[in-house]
Amino acid sequence: MMALTPAFTPGPLVSGNVVSVALMAPAGRLSLRLGQADIPVLSAAIGIELPTRIGTRAKNGPVDVICLGPDEWQIQTDATDTQRLTDACAAVYAQAPHSLTDVSAREITVQIEGPGATDLLTIGCPRDIDKIAIGEGCRTIVDGVSAVLWRDGANSFRLDIWRSFAPYVIGLLQTGGAELAAE
Amino acid sequence: MSNFRVAGRGRIDPQTPVKFTFDGKSISGYKGDTVASALLANGIHLMGRSFKYHRPRGAICAGSEEPNALVGTRRGTGQFEPNTRATVQEIWDGLEVTSQNRYPNLSFDIGAVNDRAYMLFSAGFYYKTFMWPKSFWDKVYEPFIRAAAGLGVSPTENDPDKYASRYLHTDVLVVGAGPAGLASALTAARAGLRVTLVDENAETGGTLTSEPQAVIDGQPALAWAEAATAELKTLGARVMTRTTAIGYYHQNMVGLCQKLTDHLPKPDANTPRERLWRVRATQVVLAQGALEKPLVFDGNDRPGVMLAGSAQTYLHKYGVRVGDSAVILTSHDSAWYAAFDLADAGTKIVAIVDTRSAPAAELLAQAQKRSIRVLSGYTATGTEGRLRIKSVRVNPVVNGKVGTAETLPCDCLLMSGGWTPSLHLFSHTKGALAWNDDMQTFLPDRKTEDCEIAGAGRGLWGIAAALNDGAQMGATVARHLEKEASANEFGVEGDRPGTGVSHKELPTDLNPGKARAFVDYQNDVTAKDLRLAVREGMHSIEHVKRYTTNGMATDQGKMSNINGLNIAADALGKPQPKVGLTTFRPPYTPTSFGAFVGYHRGDHFEVTRKTPIDSWAEENGAIFEPVSLWRRAWYFPKNGEDMDAAVSRECKTTRSAVGMFDASTLGKIEVVGPDAVEFMNRMYTNPWTKLAPGRTRYGLLLGDDGYIRDDGVIGRLSDDRFHVTTTTGGAARVMNMMEDYLQTEWPDLKVWLTSTTEQWATIALNGPNARKLLEPFVEGQDLSDEAFPHMSIVECTVAGFPARLFRVSFTGELGFEVNVPACHGRQLWEILWEAGQKHGICAYGTETMHVLRAEKGYIIVGQDTDGTVTPHDAGISWAIGKNKPDFVGKRGLERPDLVAEGRKQLVGLLTQDGITKLEEGAQLVLDPNQPIPMKMVGHVTSSYHSDAVGRPIAFALLEGGHSRMGETIYIPMPDGVINAEVTGTVFYDPKGARLKL
Amino acid sequence: MLLVHCPYCEQTLPELEFTYAGEAHVARPDAATPVSDEEWRNFLFIRNNVKGPHYERWRHFHGCGRYFNAVRDTVSDRFLITYKVGETRPELSDLLEKSK
Repeated sequence: MMALTPAFTPGPLVSGNVVSVALMAPAGRLSLRLGQADIPVLSAAIGIELPTRIGTRAKNGPVDVICLGPDEWQIQTDATDTQRLTDACAAVYAQAPHSLTDVSAREITVQIEGPGATDLLTIGCPRDIDKIAIGEGCRTIVDGVSAVLWRDGANSFRLDIWRSFAPYVIGLLQTGGAELAAE
Repeated sequence: MSNFRVAGRGRIDPQTPVKFTFDGKSISGYKGDTVASALLANGIHLMGRSFKYHRPRGAICAGSEEPNALVGTRRGTGQFEPNTRATVQEIWDGLEVTSQNRYPNLSFDIGAVNDRAYMLFSAGFYYKTFMWPKSFWDKVYEPFIRAAAGLGVSPTENDPDKYASRYLHTDVLVVGAGPAGLASALTAARAGLRVTLVDENAETGGTLTSEPQAVIDGQPALAWAEAATAELKTLGARVMTRTTAIGYYHQNMVGLCQKLTDHLPKPDANTPRERLWRVRATQVVLAQGALEKPLVFDGNDRPGVMLAGSAQTYLHKYGVRVGDSAVILTSHDSAWYAAFDLADAGTKIVAIVDTRSAPAAELLAQAQKRSIRVLSGYTATGTEGRLRIKSVRVNPVVNGKVGTAETLPCDCLLMSGGWTPSLHLFSHTKGALAWNDDMQTFLPDRKTEDCEIAGAGRGLWGIAAALNDGAQMGATVARHLEKEASANEFGVEGDRPGTGVSHKELPTDLNPGKARAFVDYQNDVTAKDLRLAVREGMHSIEHVKRYTTNGMATDQGKMSNINGLNIAADALGKPQPKVGLTTFRPPYTPTSFGAFVGYHRGDHFEVTRKTPIDSWAEENGAIFEPVSLWRRAWYFPKNGEDMDAAVSRECKTTRSAVGMFDASTLGKIEVVGPDAVEFMNRMYTNPWTKLAPGRTRYGLLLGDDGYIRDDGVIGRLSDDRFHVTTTTGGAARVMNMMEDYLQTEWPDLKVWLTSTTEQWATIALNGPNARKLLEPFVEGQDLSDEAFPHMSIVECTVAGFPARLFRVSFTGELGFEVNVPACHGRQLWEILWEAGQKHGICAYGTETMHVLRAEKGYIIVGQDTDGTVTPHDAGISWAIGKNKPDFVGKRGLERPDLVAEGRKQLVGLLTQDGITKLEEGAQLVLDPNQPIPMKMVGHVTSSYHSDAVGRPIAFALLEGGHSRMGETIYIPMPDGVINAEVTGTVFYDPKGARLKL
Repeated sequence: MLLVHCPYCEQTLPELEFTYAGEAHVARPDAATPVSDEEWRNFLFIRNNVKGPHYERWRHFHGCGRYFNAVRDTVSDRFLITYKVGETRPELSDLLEKSK
C-alpha cells in the first residue's frame, strides 16, 4: 500500500488481486448548468448529446459527461481540453445562457478496480452498488462525504472526491483494501 | 479426559484439543467448544456470581440468552471484554477467561453476605434505602451504589483491535439458520433472489444441532443442514454465521454484528474483530425460533440447575453430559426427550418430575422402557447445595394442595417451563403481538414491515412444522418480489413435536415469603419481588419492570419476561394480555462499542479537511486548530515561542512588513447567469446593480428573520458572474440557503450556483510590503493604488498560474488575496514565501488573523454574532441597500422585537487597568454589588491582547450598548470583579489610512 | 435509516443522501408589498406539529441537489408520496385512499 502524498501524486494507493485503488492523473472538469430549453444548443457546442436522465452518461473522445441533476452536468476531459470547451460554450452564451465553471482542481479522482471493488465501496457507500448500471454513475455519499461515482465496468469504478476530503476517504479505502485482502 | 465427554457425539473436533485458562487454571477442551461446554465437560458448573446477592451461579442455557455465566475474556493488552457469555465464547489456545462479581474468588465471595441479608434488598430497595438523610448521598450512598453497580470491570487500555462496517443490499434477509430459516432461504434462493442468511451460532442448523436423531427427506438432520447450506452458497446466497441481527429498523434495515476473530487463536492483523452490517432487505424472514423458559421455584438458581433443552444441546452439539445424575422438572414434553437422550448417553435420570398430572402415554412408555421414574402432578419446593445442586425437594399437588415432600438427590436439575417465541426483532418494528391463550404466550400479529415470521417464532413446534413453514414463508416473500416459487413439503422422521403448560411460580408448602424463586437471574429478581411491587402500587408492567429491574439485565428479559408477566398478571388479578409486555429494544444481544464505532476512531475519527497549503504549515511547525471540519494553522511558533509570543510577533511583522495567511478554507460560490445580479440583490442586504465588473464589496447575508447569517467579500467578474466568498464554517450552509431560495422561491431566475471552495487555494498577503512582494509575479494587472484600488478583483496570472486576485484586507493593512487553482496552491505559497524573505515576511495563523481584525473592529460571524444579532446590533447597518424592494431579511428587520429599545449591541470593551484580558464568554453586569443571582446584561464575544493598541481589547454584546459609550460595566469573575469601559469597536487606524498605502 | 424516493432521480435511495428541510408549502410573502407583523411571524415561526401525515421538504443533498416535497406519517415514518417543487399539493384523502 502506498501513502497518499499531500501533493496528490498520481499512482497506486492499494494494490492486490482483490481490489486496487489508484489516484488518477489530473483531469479537466467542468460543471455545466442550464435550463431544459437550451440543452440542444449546448449539446451542439460541446459535441455531445447531453444525457437527460440523472445518472446517465455520454462520451465523445476524451469527453465524458454525466447528468447529475435536472439542470446539472459534470464534464470530465483531458486536462488540456478545458479551454476548447470553455470557448465553445462561451460562444453560445448569448443564445443559450448557462453556467460553465472550471472545477478541475476542486476534486481528485481515484480508480477502484478488481473483483472486490463493489465490496470496497460498500464499506462507505449506502447505495446499492449493484443497481448502478455499467456506464452510468451518480453523486452519492461515501462515509459522510459527497462524491461522484462513475461505474465504468462490472469491477471498475471512478470516484471523484473534493480535495480536502480526499485523504479521509482514501484512508478508508486503504483500510478496506487491506481488510478485503485478508479475507 | 473427563467423564462428561461423550465420545462420538457433538460437533467439536476431537482431533484438535484446545487449552485455555479459567481464573488462571488451565482447562482442556476441543475446537468447537464454548467456554461453558468445555467447563461442563470438566464437571465445572460454577461460572459466575449474581449481581445483587452474589449467589453462586452456573450456565443455565447454551446460547446467547445466558444470564448467569458472564465472564471476562482476554487476548492481550487492551483486548479484554467483560460480561461475555461463556455459552457463546468459543475457546482457542491461550484464551484467558476470568469470572466476575466475586472477591476474593468464585468459590468464596465476600459479597455473598448480601444473600444473607436478602430481606433488605427486596423490590425497590434502591428507592427505599437511599432516601435520607440527604447528607448521606455524596459520601455514603452514591459511592456504595457505584461500587456495587455493574457486573464485569471495564477495560482501561485502548482497544487495539480493528472494527469494520459495511452496507449490504439483499432481496431477502433470513434471520436464523435453523430448519425454518434454511428452508426459507433455500426456497427464495432457488427462485433466483439475492438471499442473505445469518445466524449467531458458529454453524448453521439451529435446533437440528440439538436433535440429530431427526431424518429429513431421508437424510440425517445435520447432513441435510450441511447440504442445504452448501446449496445456498452455490446459488450465490450469502451465509453469515457468528452474526447476530441486533436491531430491526425502518423500511427493512437490519443491523448485524458479525464476530470475525473472537474464535481464532491468531487472527490476521488486518481482519477486523467485528463488523457491523447495515442490511437493507426488500423482504425479511424472521426465523429465530423460541427460547426455553425456566420454572420459578425456591432455589431454582443453583449451579447445576439448567434448562433441559440446553442440556440436550450440550449433549448433541458439544458431546457433553451436564451431570451424572439428573432430575428433570418440566411442564412441557420437550424436556422428556432431553431425559431420554441423556439416559441413552449414560446419565442416570433420577426422575422426570412433571407438573402436569397426565403426561402423554407415548412419553410414559419411553420413560418406562428406560426404567425412568416419573412423578406427574408434582411441584418443586426447594433445592440444596452451596456451589452445586445436591438435591431437589418435590411434592405432589393434589386438588391444588401441596402434599408431602420428597427429596431427590442429583447433581443437575434440568427444567423446562415451556418455550417463548423469540420476537425481539419483530417487536423492534413495533409489530403487534397477540396473546395466545392455548400456548400461554405472545405470537406475532399485525406487521409494520415487509417481513414474515417462520417456524417456532410463530408458535409452530417441531422440525417438520418449522421446515414446511419456512418453505412457505420463503415462497411468500418470493412472490412478493414477483418470483415464481414453490414450497417443498418435507418428510421428517424422528420429529419430536410436543405441548406443555405455562406457570407462574410453582406452588409450595413452605413460606412463600422466604422462597428464593428467581425470575430474572442476572438481576436477582424473585417472584416475591414482583408481588411486592404490585402490592406497593406498581400496576403497569413498565413500572413493575423498573421497580424490580425484572427484564433489565443484559439478557433483556429473554429468560424472565413471560414468567414475570405470568406472576404480575396473577398478582394484579388480570389476564396477561391486559397487563402486556414491556418494550424490547435493540440490540438483541450486548454489542461492543467497537462494532458501532467501526472505522471512526484515531485518525479516522471524523473528517479532517486540509487545505493545499496544510502540508507546508505542518512542515513549518504550525500548531493547528479545528475550524468546522477543517484544521487550520493557528500560529507558527519559532524557537520555542509560546502562543502569546508567536502571535505577538506575527501581528507585529504583519503590521510593519508583510504577513502571509492561508485563507483557502473560505467558502467560495460561483454565481453565474443573466439573473446573477438580481439574485445577489435578493440574497444579500447590499445593492449589487451598480457594482462594476472588477470591483468587490463586503456582502452581508441575513435570514428572513433579520438576523445575520454570514458575510464575505464578493467580487463581480463580469456582468453575469460573481465570485462570492463566505465564512469558513458557513460555506455549506450558505450554499444550501441560496439553493433553497433559488429552487423554491425564485425558480424563474436564470442563475446557477457552483461551489468553488476547493477549486481555489487562497493566499492572503497583508502589510505595508505586500504590494512590493506581489508585484513582480503579477502579469496582466498594474497593482498601483490608482489602477487596482482597495476592493478590486481581476483575473490575471500570478507566478505564471491563472489567478483571481483580490485587493482586500481583513487586517486593516494593505492587502491582497491571491486565488489560484488548488493544485498550485502550495507551489505559489513557496514562491511567495521565498520572495518574501527580503521583505521581512512571516506566515501567520488564525489567531493573529483574529487579533488583527479585532483591532480594526471587523466582526466574525458566529463569534461576535450568535444568530440573534441584526446588522444594526452589530453596527454594520451601512451594508443594507436602502432602496431595494426586497432582500432576504428586509421585512424581518422591521419586526417589533428587532426595532425595540434595549437590544444587545456590539461594543468594544477596554479594561480599566489596561492590563487584564477579559475571558471570552464572561458575563457583564451593570452593578457588581447587587445580590446574586445578578442581572446579566451581555457577554464578551472576542478578547485579545493587542500590541498595536498597547493593551487588551475586547468586543461584547451589551444591552443598549450603543448608548452606553464611555460607561463602566463590570465583569464578575471567581477572583474578583473587573471594570471595563464601553467603547466603539475600532481600536486601530480608525480612518483606514493603512488600507490605501 | 429511511428510504426516500427522489422525484427528480426517480429512484428510492438511502436517507443518508438526503437532508430534511422543514415544513412544506410555507410560502414566503411578497415582502415588496406591505406584510403585517403577524403574517411575517407566521411565515417565520409558526409551523404545524403534526402527529400523522406531514407535508414537508427534503433535499437530495448528496445527489441531484434538488429540494422536493413529501408527505410523511410522523407516527410510522412512512412516506405517502414525494413530489417535485411547484407540483400541486396532493390531497391527503387521496393519498390515504391510495396507501390502502
